[in-house]
Amino acid sequence: MNRAPLIFLGIFFAIAFSWTGIVLTNHLGYAKLQPVFNEDEGKAFPQRLPGEAIRGKEVYRDLGCVYCHTQQVRHAGYGVDLERGWGERGSVARDYIHEKRVYLGTMRTGPDLRNVGARFAGEGGRDWHIQHFYDAQITSKGSIMPNYRFLFETRPIVGEPSPKAVQSKLPPQYQPPAGHEIVLTQRGEDLIAYLLALKDGPLGPDETSRLYVPKEEPKKEASQPEAAK
Amino acid sequence: MPEWFLYFVALPMAMLIVASAVYGLYWASKKGQLQDLEEGAKVIFDDEEPIGRPTDQTLHQTKPAPKSGPRF
Amino acid sequence: MSATLTASLNPASSPDVAQRAELSAIDASTKAPALYFLGSSVLWLIVGTVFALIASFKMHSPTFLGDIEWLTFGRARTLHLNAVIYGWSVNASFAVALWLMARLSRAELRHAGLLLIAAIFWNVGVTVGMVGIAIGHSTSIEWLEFPAYATPILFFAYAFVGAWAVATFRFGRSKHIYVSQWYLLAALFWFPSLYGVAQVMLVFEPTRGTVQALVNWWFAHNVLGLWFTPIGLAAIYYFLPKVLGKPINSYYLSVLGFWSLAIFYNWAGVHHLIGGPVPVWVQTAGIAASFMMVVPVIVTGLNQHLTLVGSASALKYSPTLRFIVFGGVNYTLTSLAGSLMSMRSWAEITHFTHYTVGHAHHGMYAFFTMVMFGSIYYILPRILLKEWPSAKLISLHFWATAIGITIYVVGLSLGGILQGIATNMTHGPDASIIPYLSNADVKGIIEITLPYLQVRSYSGVLITIGHLAFAVNFVWMLVQPRPVGATAPTLFRPAPDLEAAR
Repeated sequence: MNRAPLIFLGIFFAIAFSWTGIVLTNHLGYAKLQPVFNEDEGKAFPQRLPGEAIRGKEVYRDLGCVYCHTQQVRHAGYGVDLERGWGERGSVARDYIHEKRVYLGTMRTGPDLRNVGARFAGEGGRDWHIQHFYDAQITSKGSIMPNYRFLFETRPIVGEPSPKAVQSKLPPQYQPPAGHEIVLTQRGEDLIAYLLALKDGPLGPDETSRLYVPKEEPKKEASQPEAAK
Repeated sequence: MPEWFLYFVALPMAMLIVASAVYGLYWASKKGQLQDLEEGAKVIFDDEEPIGRPTDQTLHQTKPAPKSGPRF
Repeated sequence: MSATLTASLNPASSPDVAQRAELSAIDASTKAPALYFLGSSVLWLIVGTVFALIASFKMHSPTFLGDIEWLTFGRARTLHLNAVIYGWSVNASFAVALWLMARLSRAELRHAGLLLIAAIFWNVGVTVGMVGIAIGHSTSIEWLEFPAYATPILFFAYAFVGAWAVATFRFGRSKHIYVSQWYLLAALFWFPSLYGVAQVMLVFEPTRGTVQALVNWWFAHNVLGLWFTPIGLAAIYYFLPKVLGKPINSYYLSVLGFWSLAIFYNWAGVHHLIGGPVPVWVQTAGIAASFMMVVPVIVTGLNQHLTLVGSASALKYSPTLRFIVFGGVNYTLTSLAGSLMSMRSWAEITHFTHYTVGHAHHGMYAFFTMVMFGSIYYILPRILLKEWPSAKLISLHFWATAIGITIYVVGLSLGGILQGIATNMTHGPDASIIPYLSNADVKGIIEITLPYLQVRSYSGVLITIGHLAFAVNFVWMLVQPRPVGATAPTLFRPAPDLEAAR
């Protein structure tokens, strides 16, 4: 009995069906999302990353940060990402439209990083990242994040000490031998620039109207007397 | 999602898919492709390795393999 | 029946010595490529295991090999995954698929020498990809980490293997398509479709935004469901009845299982994005499909169970059966667990935790890898025409890996659940119920999971011992001399009680 044509049709149909449903439909459906202009800020969101941060994202990629950190904030009512301070709102598809590679991630050995640039900002944030990358134990005792010493360079001071030297930000036990200084490599600078730039802007009107908002407590109270009866 | 989409696009499409699946089964059944299914289970056996003979016994054997003669 | 008994007890008088020629010739025709694929798969298994241990130890002792950039956790973990997936698992499935296809189609593998080119190219491709990851060219797209320059090599190699397998099927003398062949043909078609689409839409011409994530998980979950699962099931559907010497309990159920798997598994991958920034309807579709997977899983599990019933004592004698049955049982368990994990309320806890890692190993190791081990124990004697040198090493291999992976899965699942509960309890009335898990910051959560990560490493050591036993036995088998004049494997005497079982 030659069932080969029937079998092959089924095999083909199965994969064509899911490809159409999951990939093609959504590609047509929302791959063309555009930034939305925000009147209050006078800018269109989401914004593009600055060039240094784009290079930093390449470091994020090649070191495999995505295997321990997500970049997606779950909405209110599903998980407690907002209470943990990982974002002011859940992530939406529009937030990612400028990204050549989207690193949503599937694992949270460490915290979500979608808005890490809001948590650690400016010079203080930069210092925090420098300490954290040099040895995560400095800022987070008991962390299992690896050290990223190879993003730093310990070199002998030639002539004037470099203005970029970072050892002054590190605790005493990490100081280099006399006559040496510690500087960030270019990759280290880029990676930190990327982390400082990671934060989502305000929502567009589309998403605001569609976001799921969990029902408030009062409703429950109102129904309680009825149940009591 | 607008309601018309549900009634005029999604529902007809779903019915079409179900109909094609039903037709496919009807066609297969008419061609006799669904008959004698259980016979298929036996095709991996033959005179060389018939039903009733296990073909892999390696562990927990006290006697060593015979020196000569093919075994399978 | 009595003729069979006499034949097997007294080989010299066996009437089928001459008839044996056909299967022997078919097995022999697959020898060169199958040996090459299997040899390289064992090599990659060891490489992958080493990286697994490194990554696992780094997880609880982050300073271990801490200053070596190419061994940093993000890379060591990725090297592990790609070595065991594209190195070990795919190489092994090529060998098993080709051998099964040749046997089931009753066709010799023609021009098998040319397949060696494919085998070499595949392994060159994997090596190039591995080196690429180590030097920082990984794409960081889960399951597609190999840099773009490795892909064409892999594709070229795959085209050869796929074409050969389909040609072998096409030119086969077998009138009937056995259910294992259904699975093999489907897998052979599905893999290049998935891999091709994913490469184009993610690496070469990336689609925009989170559609990438959908393509990613459509691919990654389907590689499990539409490549590894069908190959594993094809092997089970062949070896289980073949080793026992009795047909599969219900052929009808096996066909039902095939079609329900083909229809539902496809859509299941989206459950990796539950709660993420992708359309909710597609998440819901993924959840529904994941739940419908209960159908093929129950059907397949029931069928295998009913086939084994009454012959379970064969587990004592046959290494193939032991590994295959262990794999089959775990296929059922891991799939049911997977359906459960896709439920929104359960995913809220287990998503983003070590539970997922445990589940992935449950599927890829406790099911697929164990089935491949079993298949290799059956295939190798038949292409080398000699028996495995040490039954003790086989036993060691089985018990070390079976116990190891059980501890692994149970440990990480528990750790993952605790991690998930702790992550979701920041405040509020629930927080007081389990004080140990409440109000933990990220460091606190790490502290909670740490013991389970250590258990994972110890179970990994146990699994490594099993792999070493396997590798030693494998190499030993290759180098030991073949019995003079052997035209068939010199398997040990069948156990008499099994002989009578029917």
